[in-house]
Amino acid sequence: MPPKVIAVPKTDPGAYNPNRPAGKLLQAQALHMREALIRHVHELTTLLNIDMQALKTEADVSAYVHRATTLLHTRAGKAARK
Amino acid sequence: MSAGLDNLKHIVVLMMENRSFDHMLGALRQKYPKINGLTGNESNPDTKGAIVKVQQKAQFQSQLDPDPDHHFPGVDLQIFGAPPGPGRVANMQGFVKDYFSQTKDVTRSHNIMYYFDSEKDLPVLSTLATEFAVFNGWFSSIPGPTICNRAFAHYGTSFGQVGMDIFYILDTAVLSIYERMIQAGHTAKIYYYDQPSSTMEIVNLLKNQPQIFGTLDQFISDCAGNTLPEYSFIEPCYNDHPGPDGGQILASDQHPDHNVREGERFIANVYNAIRTNPTLWQNTVLLVVYDEHGGIYDHVVPPACTPDGKTASADATGTGEPFAFDRLGIRVPAVLISPWIPRGTVVPGTEDPANAQIFEHASIPATVTNFFLNGDAKRTVREQKANTFLGLLTDQMRRDDDCVVFNNLQ
Repeated sequence: MPPKVIAVPKTDPGAYNPNRPAGKLLQAQALHMREALIRHVHELTTLLNIDMQALKTEADVSAYVHRATTLLHTRAGKAARK
Repeated sequence: MSAGLDNLKHIVVLMMENRSFDHMLGALRQKYPKINGLTGNESNPDTKGAIVKVQQKAQFQSQLDPDPDHHFPGVDLQIFGAPPGPGRVANMQGFVKDYFSQTKDVTRSHNIMYYFDSEKDLPVLSTLATEFAVFNGWFSSIPGPTICNRAFAHYGTSFGQVGMDIFYILDTAVLSIYERMIQAGHTAKIYYYDQPSSTMEIVNLLKNQPQIFGTLDQFISDCAGNTLPEYSFIEPCYNDHPGPDGGQILASDQHPDHNVREGERFIANVYNAIRTNPTLWQNTVLLVVYDEHGGIYDHVVPPACTPDGKTASADATGTGEPFAFDRLGIRVPAVLISPWIPRGTVVPGTEDPANAQIFEHASIPATVTNFFLNGDAKRTVREQKANTFLGLLTDQMRRDDDCVVFNNLQ
């Protein structure tokens, strides 16, 4: 015997309203996104401000490369998912 | 250990937005007396002193605009019916008063007492609640808004926050459940709807752990391809926006004033993705739960809970009094779904003190940690005290024809 099938009603026509004013939750989400981007920029700026001449040892270079790779990998990952 | 637990390989949590238990499922009490819903006689005073009874008049959209208050001071008033002061007791009498502060209209303030005809209006949620297990006592973790409550589902704490502010992780020893799983060699993912909707877990996880995120399309694909992680957390669509090909993507989170029916369709889609894969269906448990009540009436007084060792200041709460995280937030709908759960299971709450099992969102990471990590990972105080929900799985698996499917193409 097939399982019982429950019909799910359609959403009302006219429900779509992208011009609805954004509530506090969505405003907070946008603010949080901005905060995350600022931190991202800070991280990028910090890396770009590192003096290449100061990377003397393999440990210095590996630490820099690690941070740069992590940052670039994140960006590449996002691009690949598009 | 039950046969259901022996077979369990996946835990999936779908967290919706901002609806109270009574608003969504309260009407079920008329037909299912064990469900601690509404008798129809529950009431609140309005600002003119009139008694406003609950009414089965909830609509899918346009009735709760402006968005009911669900921030800490508003919820405090909803629970106690009066501002902080000596001798006050929790009585759930402040919902209409609080909504009047937003509507400025006495008649419209009564809308906060409206509830759905659950079986007629909400065929998906009510079917799942009556066909599997419904919790009479699942409460939001904090009497406050979304972000801090969702934090409890991810971390088992809100790190002392009671609001919508970006919460910075001050206690780096507390890892999210996803990080705990991955560090221990397990798999876990947060699936958000799509990029225009994205996630509410932004600053900490999206910023620092982007690899743990996927989209709903990936969830559907992972279900079909038997590549679902051991633990999955699903976020609905949070806003109306154009689709990639010019179509209309509707918010499915059910946050007022988004259309409740679209949320029903979303829940059905998530359920069907699991239900229609025979292998996955047998080894997966799905929890559908709401993050908080959204300012909408519920008749059950939130119980006290074990403090999590943090205190929100009087400034942070906005009530003039600090909060020690020693009381849960307002009750929300929560349904646990698996073929290993007997039809009509009702988990007792505060209405049955001798048998009550109280749950909150810290129960989610507590359950996942207990099951997949044998409880080995560091857990918060609230997780350590939280009830876990896998004990509802039994030895008896229901036949395939005994478990519903949804036709979402009507």
